[in-house]
Amino acid sequence: MNRREALQKTAMMLGYAVSIPAITGVLNGCQATPGIAFKPVFFNDDQARSVEILSEIIIPKTSTPGAIEVGVPSFIDQMLKNAYGKQDQDEFLQGLADLDRDANEAYGNNFTSCSTTEQETLFKKYHDAAFAVPLAKPALGWWNPRPADKKPFILRIKELVLLGFFTSQIGATQVLKYKQVPGPFKGCIPFADVGKTWAT
Amino acid sequence: MNLNLEAKKANSYDAIVVGTGVSGGWAAKELTEKGLKTLVLERGRDVKHVIDYPTMTKDPWQLPNANRLTTEELKFFPVQSRMGVSQANKHWWVNDIENPYTEIKPFDWIRGYHTGGRSIMWGKQTYRLSDIDFSANAKDGYGVDWPIRYNDLAPWYDHVESYIGVSGRAEGLAQLPDGKFLPPMELNCVEEVFRDRVAKKFNGRKITIGRVAHLTAKLPHDPNRGVCQSRNMCDRGCPYGAYFSSNASTLPAAARTGNMTLRPHAIVHSIIYDETKGKAIGVRVLDAQTKEEIEFFSKIIFLNASTLGSTFILMNSTSNRFPNGFGNGSGQLGHNLMDHHYKAGAECEVEGYDDKYFEGRRPNGIYIPRFRNIGDDKRTDYVRGFGYQGSAGRENWNRGVLEMSYGEELKNLLTKPGTWTIGMTGFGECLPYYENHVSLNKDKKDIYGLPTLNIDAEWKENEKSMRKDMMDSAAEMFEASGFKKVETFDRAAHIGLGIHEMGTARMGKDPKTSVLNKWNQVHEAPNVFVTDGAAMTSSACQNPSLTYMALTARAADHAVSELRKGNL
Repeated sequence: MNRREALQKTAMMLGYAVSIPAITGVLNGCQATPGIAFKPVFFNDDQARSVEILSEIIIPKTSTPGAIEVGVPSFIDQMLKNAYGKQDQDEFLQGLADLDRDANEAYGNNFTSCSTTEQETLFKKYHDAAFAVPLAKPALGWWNPRPADKKPFILRIKELVLLGFFTSQIGATQVLKYKQVPGPFKGCIPFADVGKTWAT
Repeated sequence: MNLNLEAKKANSYDAIVVGTGVSGGWAAKELTEKGLKTLVLERGRDVKHVIDYPTMTKDPWQLPNANRLTTEELKFFPVQSRMGVSQANKHWWVNDIENPYTEIKPFDWIRGYHTGGRSIMWGKQTYRLSDIDFSANAKDGYGVDWPIRYNDLAPWYDHVESYIGVSGRAEGLAQLPDGKFLPPMELNCVEEVFRDRVAKKFNGRKITIGRVAHLTAKLPHDPNRGVCQSRNMCDRGCPYGAYFSSNASTLPAAARTGNMTLRPHAIVHSIIYDETKGKAIGVRVLDAQTKEEIEFFSKIIFLNASTLGSTFILMNSTSNRFPNGFGNGSGQLGHNLMDHHYKAGAECEVEGYDDKYFEGRRPNGIYIPRFRNIGDDKRTDYVRGFGYQGSAGRENWNRGVLEMSYGEELKNLLTKPGTWTIGMTGFGECLPYYENHVSLNKDKKDIYGLPTLNIDAEWKENEKSMRKDMMDSAAEMFEASGFKKVETFDRAAHIGLGIHEMGTARMGKDPKTSVLNKWNQVHEAPNVFVTDGAAMTSSACQNPSLTYMALTARAADHAVSELRKGNL
């Protein structure tokens, strides 16, 4: 079984719709791991780069800055080190390891060395699969604190990316709308007067 | 004069107030304004209004770890974190390792030891009790009868509300008397719809805006306090002094009289009882910093150390006269511990109103006054009742995690708010059960070598039956309003998490069955007043802080009057 066959077999096993161009891209060789934009305190460099790639897939740079530009990967690195217990840390790292394993099986490369298209294909595969099981919605209010559920890795990182992004100054003030001092509460106004989601 | 007498004179005051929270601050204000030289003792550190609110203006991105505690920090808060301790408010909660107690059954004892106590972190919901509440025990036979009725307390509710500032809407309900209100906060669009539909479908059942101790207009008598700016960062301390706290309101008033001596780091552990005089003459203090034992003396003593704090002091004050705890001839001291049970209700989605939004983070929500077991409404499955608290809102960015999209599509989607949602929980009355009690544990000591409390309390059948109705009735109102995807929930929190612990030194008519009389005086030691939650004879279902404040102001007035007559 040659590499192309192996890849296709793996892809079929995993149910991937791997396009020929994507496979061709892998076969054309690895890409160099680009440097990471922050100095990680929890991840190793390879893990940190994976987190950067995933973060930017989830919230890319558009007409407004994306996850990397506002420092989300570093936020996630800090959260993992400071605010996560051992088990959650291990599960997160396992999630990154699984991603590499699947990247290797599908494309013969670690996740970070896959092409952008491959990376997004892998992400989408994981992301779609995550919705196969019922998931607890975020709490609507203090009156019903939902017990934390064990979300699949891909949604845990998605949750962290959204948290880091929308609590960042750029995310809150440029992408959404934020006022530290709103003034007296206005209960019922046209949405057009606000225009965007309140950051908080 | 010998040295002892000199020392005694230097440590003598007209009055001593133990504690600086909602009720202690009121005792301090009222007693000092009536001219009494008053020593106010706080077991924790001093907190000055505004100056000592380190996180009050921090934006979300200025708080580490998106406002979550680190795993290292969490180790100090195994109990307090059950309520939710954050980077923004972590300095207000007690270190559980240094302040242990024993949960015979699970009990969440949420505390703050510093000047102002929990008046800094409280929920600000401010409601009067009614005669339906004051006569409840007498009517159905649980507990003992309150020694007072609504008319006894009404002028003191007026007095307190006028001073602290309470926003709300008058609704004319017998079960929830109106007060002296500042302008009400606004409901949002969906809450207005809910209010109107429920009134129509449920024979005039009221939904109102929460009555809250937030200023919606300036107080002419207290120009230092400003109007609420809808930041909803209250638990950090308010730079505007817009919500009532002892620090912003009553303690500055007491200080202005020149009659207050406020001493932080002063842990009162017992009352000094003079066997020959047959009365309490002062308190014993352990200085938390120097570990020095100090005695302070006064003509009257107000215990406002929080429900279980005050009861601890009484239990730990033994003498020949009171071998089983101070003023405990009835054997009721420590018993009849209550709280409010909540986190049972419903939530749902509301279709439409996509073109409507709101501005500001309103530190308040809707309130549905009790409608069960009132008038013609008679339940066979439980006695007493509950009110609802909750709010409507629109889904924000955090819905994104469960969106199927990602990337640019998700980013664009989240710049617009999502579906309107609404949810609420009941706040249910808890009956006074003798067996729900605290006791002294002399084997387990805190870091100061003082005994600790065993807490042995639980919800019982009446509360559990009520919770089913709290879910069902919430769902019924949402469904009748045409709202979608209605789901009920019961998070079955432990007793204690309402942070409305009450009882354990109840008021009553009969010294044989109660600890305090109708003026909050210890039956057996009338110059000792207990005017915090410990005094409560029943819990009602309304948030209780306003009642503690009104009881305190009333008791202070009585104390000074009796003192002047030479009766104390």
